[in-house]
Amino acid sequence: MKLKVYADRLSQPVRAVIIFCEVNGIDYEEIKVDLANREHLTPEFAEINPMQQLPAIVHGSFKLFESHAILIYIASSFPGVADHWYPADVYKRSKIHSVLDWHHSNLRRGPITIVQNSILAPVFRSPLNPEAVAEGEKILSAALSKTESFWLDDNRPFLLGQNQPSIADLILVCDIMQIKLVGETDWNRLLGPYKKVQQWIENTRNATNPHFDELHKVLKELKEKLQN
Amino acid sequence: MKLKLYADRMSQPVRAVIIFCKKNGIDFEEIRVDIAKRQHLTPEYAEINPMKQLPAIVDGRFKLFESHAILVYLASSFPGVADHWYPADVFKRSKIHSVLDWHHSNLRRGPTTIVRNTVLAPVLGRPLNPEAAAEGEKFLSASLSKIESIWLKGNGRFLLGGNQPSIADLSLVCDIMQLELLGETERNRFLGPYKEVQQWIENTRNATNPHFDEVHKILMKAREKLQNLRLKGANNEGGESDMKRTLHSRI
Repeated sequence: MKLKVYADRLSQPVRAVIIFCEVNGIDYEEIKVDLANREHLTPEFAEINPMQQLPAIVHGSFKLFESHAILIYIASSFPGVADHWYPADVYKRSKIHSVLDWHHSNLRRGPITIVQNSILAPVFRSPLNPEAVAEGEKILSAALSKTESFWLDDNRPFLLGQNQPSIADLILVCDIMQIKLVGETDWNRLLGPYKKVQQWIENTRNATNPHFDELHKVLKELKEKLQN
Repeated sequence: MKLKLYADRMSQPVRAVIIFCKKNGIDFEEIRVDIAKRQHLTPEYAEINPMKQLPAIVDGRFKLFESHAILVYLASSFPGVADHWYPADVFKRSKIHSVLDWHHSNLRRGPTTIVRNTVLAPVLGRPLNPEAAAEGEKFLSASLSKIESIWLKGNGRFLLGGNQPSIADLSLVCDIMQLELLGETERNRFLGPYKEVQQWIENTRNATNPHFDEVHKILMKAREKLQNLRLKGANNEGGESDMKRTLHSRI
């Protein structure tokens, strides 16, 4: 009963789920659902996920969407997933939940808003919107600032004072990586003030390579395509 | 070592946590942090929750914020919490997580946005913002529609086909209850098309009463005050500082 992951690697939460599966040796089948071709809006995909978003998984007769829920399910159901990804300890686990919840209304909205109103606008046939981009940059800065000063407060390599990554590190870093699409100059400008954040991104990348780099190739490729 | 809950019952996620505790016989101390008086923005409160939001809990030395995380923690840590609130079964549990996640980016952005930019704006020291309220209305309608057709699909009385409530039911229904502040006419305009949703709200209320009604009293009182002040404002110039004063003294 192989896990099916409905995916487009352009999507940040999709990348987090795939990297997690690869790092933990989970046997899965990646089924491409092309966002740019609006395949997520087809009636066929609505059978998989009525909210018509990615990622979604099917495991036997069990269907699930929302990447945080998916990561929790996989961490809880597959043997061999190391405890640090989603600890059994209720205190550590609850703190991870609080990051993941905070993320929805804070960090997640930054990169997405920036990217979808600038470089990805033509791909999704929407207008460029510099005001929305400016809003997105404000949201991102506020979130990065909180990440730097609070979530990364303990001078440990990962969020919440941990020495090993959790699903929260993977989700948040994959979201931030979306900014690579707008180019190195903007990446450096937006992340420049946050030294701990930059180190943490590097730590997460190292802890999950070569899969991290492999999964993020798609951003480089797309950026080159859009520039030409 | 009693659980401390930092609370203002005007906040929907605060109400969800309080109702959950009362329903499950969890002993706690409710510590008032008055949002209208900006007490959540003080340096003292930042020690409890650096994100300066409610609710937050302190259990011994353990501090936690974000209501979903709090509800999961309480369900997992306190004996005597019935399984249906946060089932041990990984399939049921994962589905509850998916509702709670969906909620953040969907329903949660509805009632709160409408209310903060209309009736509660003066109390919160914000300008009225009909555009932002209209955005909130779009989120609300889209979300109610999804709840009606997707999350309440099946023959259960609660979300995900359940016959008993989970923390997801409590969280979402408390958010929708914020619409009460707009008055009955507006509330009925929003909820009118959604029969399943209306029934589900009633089911959740019945399953958690008398606590549900008791915890929502403050909202109903605030609604009355806001309606009276609107009528007063219509008769004379009046309003904003009156509204603030009255709400502070009566809530």
